[in-house]
Amino acid sequence: MPANASPEHQRLIAKLESIGTLTREERLAIAALPLRPKQVPENSDIVRDGDAPSESCLLVEGFLCRYKMLPDGGRQILAIHTPGDIPDLQSLQLKVMDHSLGTLTPCRVAFVAHKDLHEITLRYPGITALFWRDTLIDAAIFREWLTGVGRRTAHQRIAHLICEIHVRLKVVGLADNGGFNLPITQAELADSLGLSTVHVNRVLQDLRRDGLIESRGKYLAVNDWRALEAAGGFDPRYLHVL
Amino acid sequence: MNLILQPVMVDTGEEGEGCLVFAEGWLVAVLVRLSETHEDAAGFWFLEKGFGRLDRPDPPIFSDLPQAEQWIKEHLEIRRPPRWPGDRGEV
Repeated sequence: MPANASPEHQRLIAKLESIGTLTREERLAIAALPLRPKQVPENSDIVRDGDAPSESCLLVEGFLCRYKMLPDGGRQILAIHTPGDIPDLQSLQLKVMDHSLGTLTPCRVAFVAHKDLHEITLRYPGITALFWRDTLIDAAIFREWLTGVGRRTAHQRIAHLICEIHVRLKVVGLADNGGFNLPITQAELADSLGLSTVHVNRVLQDLRRDGLIESRGKYLAVNDWRALEAAGGFDPRYLHVL
Repeated sequence: MNLILQPVMVDTGEEGEGCLVFAEGWLVAVLVRLSETHEDAAGFWFLEKGFGRLDRPDPPIFSDLPQAEQWIKEHLEIRRPPRWPGDRGEV
């Protein structure tokens, strides 16, 4: 890690190094990428469906989600993002947003101008390859979510999502084997998994009663990883972490 | 439209109090009373399952049975959209 890298740059480097390798020169180039940090309150939009942004958003702390709103007011959360992610990296190539990006919790983010992203990707093919790999993993996660919404039971969906978030936070050093902070509401879980809040609550009660998880305020303790993994039919291969 | 509510036990892993809702002899919904584990919504009635026009991905919660009945009647009275050219739909 370059000694002069800011916490925001360090987060991005750690994320990219969790899915691939960077040379010293590439790490230095990322550490020099101009970033505009910003604190964003919970339940705020970063970029909206139909916008044509000129910058992308690196998540430094907190949880972001990508979502679509339906005409009747229903919301489908398409993805939950963890620190180190650039959820709207696609806007570098796809100019008009086809969904919205918002905060689930108070978030620290850092904006990076598309012109700077273009420049770094032109100069460093290794970085381009890692960004590409990241968007491919993003698509792999979508496939897994689609499979869940279409074919997994409520129990499997919730256990699977807890496993996924746990692994993703662990690879960027924000969780240990014991658990992680999950300040996400049951309504947000319901919107992510195509379930009602009633079903989410029932399943969480079941998982607690069976000793798989335990809630301590915002902290979710994973007491029996193997059982949780089995309950969700979770196989971390689709996350393609190194 | 008259609704008939028939008490029934429903295996949801909760206390089980529920009712079948019939409209004109047709089973249209199953309502379940939410237990204490639902905190703010405890004691409310949940549309555990709606059939036909009442089937939806995000089923609603009602504070009491009259509210549930009102919602069910309103949604049963929405005209079904035409399914083929020339079909006028049904009430």
